[in-house]
Amino acid sequence: MFVNSNLHISRRSFLLAGGGLAAAGLLRSWPVRSADIQELRIAAVPARAPLTGETHPDTEVWAYDAKVPGPVLRLRQGDPVRIVVENQLTQETTVHWHGIRLPIAMDGVPGLSQVPIKPAERFAYEFTPPDAGTFWYHPHANSLEQLGRGLAGVLIVDERDPVPVDRDILWMLSDWRLTTDGQIAAGFGNHMEAAMSGRVGNMVTLNGTVPTGERVRAGERVRLRLVNGSLARLMALRFEGHRPVVVAVDGQPCDPHEPDDGRVLLGPAMRVDVMLVMQGEPGRSYAVTDDFYDGLGYTLTRLNYAEGAPVRATPLDIAFRLPPNPLPEPDLATAERHEITLQGGMMGGGKLSGVGGISGMATPGMDGQAAWAIDGMSMTGDGQAGMPPLFTIQRGRSVVLTIRNETAWWHPMHFHGHSLKILTRNGSPVPHRQWNDTILFAPKDIVECAFVADNPGDWMLHCHVMDHQMAGLMTVLRIA
Amino acid sequence: MKLTLRIATLATLIALPLPALAAPIQAVMYKNPTCSCCETYAAYLEQNGFKIELKPTNDLTQVSTAAGVPEQLQGCHTIMVDGYVVDGFVPVDVVKKMLTERPAITGIALPGMPMGSPGMGGVKTEPFTIYAFTTDGKAPTVYAVE
Repeated sequence: MFVNSNLHISRRSFLLAGGGLAAAGLLRSWPVRSADIQELRIAAVPARAPLTGETHPDTEVWAYDAKVPGPVLRLRQGDPVRIVVENQLTQETTVHWHGIRLPIAMDGVPGLSQVPIKPAERFAYEFTPPDAGTFWYHPHANSLEQLGRGLAGVLIVDERDPVPVDRDILWMLSDWRLTTDGQIAAGFGNHMEAAMSGRVGNMVTLNGTVPTGERVRAGERVRLRLVNGSLARLMALRFEGHRPVVVAVDGQPCDPHEPDDGRVLLGPAMRVDVMLVMQGEPGRSYAVTDDFYDGLGYTLTRLNYAEGAPVRATPLDIAFRLPPNPLPEPDLATAERHEITLQGGMMGGGKLSGVGGISGMATPGMDGQAAWAIDGMSMTGDGQAGMPPLFTIQRGRSVVLTIRNETAWWHPMHFHGHSLKILTRNGSPVPHRQWNDTILFAPKDIVECAFVADNPGDWMLHCHVMDHQMAGLMTVLRIA
Repeated sequence: MKLTLRIATLATLIALPLPALAAPIQAVMYKNPTCSCCETYAAYLEQNGFKIELKPTNDLTQVSTAAGVPEQLQGCHTIMVDGYVVDGFVPVDVVKKMLTERPAITGIALPGMPMGSPGMGGVKTEPFTIYAFTTDGKAPTVYAVE
């Protein structure tokens, strides 16, 4: 469960030839420092994975390099990378590098930013990650089913200087709907679910298997990277006997703070890095629970302390601040202001009457049917060429965006290509200098956020409850 | 004999607006955990002679499907009551009619959460069509129009 750099990664050196890398370095906050480019390869393949441990036969999945989750890709902040994706599925795919500020052509949205990768074909994604932090990758084609069958992995961008922690631990959390014989249940794109909370499953895995406990030592300072790779399951984690301190949200460092009520809230696609000082007693075991859904709380895993004396007499300071990323600070005084409204769903006031629809690539069984809309427009599917932008922002402008959730449901809203500084929630200032690429909305929430539109392209803004995206909770903002 | 008694009790219930006089009808509601309208509907049933045990589940689709509710009729909760299935905001009189008449069906459903239905609130804008469904593969039929 340690995060090491010895994972399934091939690394090759390439000589920099002429201007061949220019396209990879759109965001030039970090200069290209080395003369070689890291090259990685992953393949999307049908496979079998031991999700349930030994209680059931292996589950048939689709997975990167036949692993669930896919290999941890470790990049270095400011160093260019080339990731060749091979499609060994029988349907088209793409990869979206969730949260990375990269050129639009590398963003992985079918039609909008690239031609999908056909079966047996490859695509080379090239970019230079400007920000260090915890990110992830997943398909943006037939997203509901491809992600739901296992195609997801974590992408970690390491800081230029190592962060002083005893250990760096990753928990990639995934939610599965399995049948009684341990196979992935059919029925992706159920109408009713799409209009409610989406396809929430019945089994949560940690790093690809039923959690078996995390072995820790008293006195350690640990950076725990939490990733919610679920289709729809929201999580609220509590650490019995411990006080987690949030140090980064969606990859972006924030002011270190204890979360409200000690509960780490993680919507689908969100990441939170917490610092944990292992303050428990040697030999004891402490529960990590998820109590997001009333009446359905469960123990996710346990922190199991080794016997023996603490690793140090005096614990290290937990309020450790990660080095900041080079995010452009929006100028609120001159910012242009936009408002958008999330609409629809069950209890949304009946049918989506008068909604203009754009039918995208429909999921089988869903028929591109809209259950949701943004400002009266339902864009369904995964993305396609010619999606009209909701509005256009001149490149370089600061933007204040107010998003109103008029629906009765939770939505993790993901904006591609940018991180958004959260200003207010329901009229109250949001502290801790928090930047998100995926903002979690409770029913009826209103969030005001700001960003600098420094990255040209047609960028998706959509709900990351995958059924909601497929059923219309999606739009496009143009930066030109 | 037992059945006769039950029917008699139900007949009393229907006749009397105050249900507290009779033992409540036991029912189990499986519901989406993040949906609040189900609880409004459960409270409505409890005011009308039922005792509802709430069971939040993220497997509602599987519960509803296993109970025989066709996908196009599935709502945010499924109720098991006295050998029948009730899905959606079916008005209580229709539920009691089914429990009294005991037709050879699996259950009834009011799909689409129409405005003005119990649980939704708002003003009713059109008649509610309540469907009966069975598990023999036949298409749902209209059970009642309210």
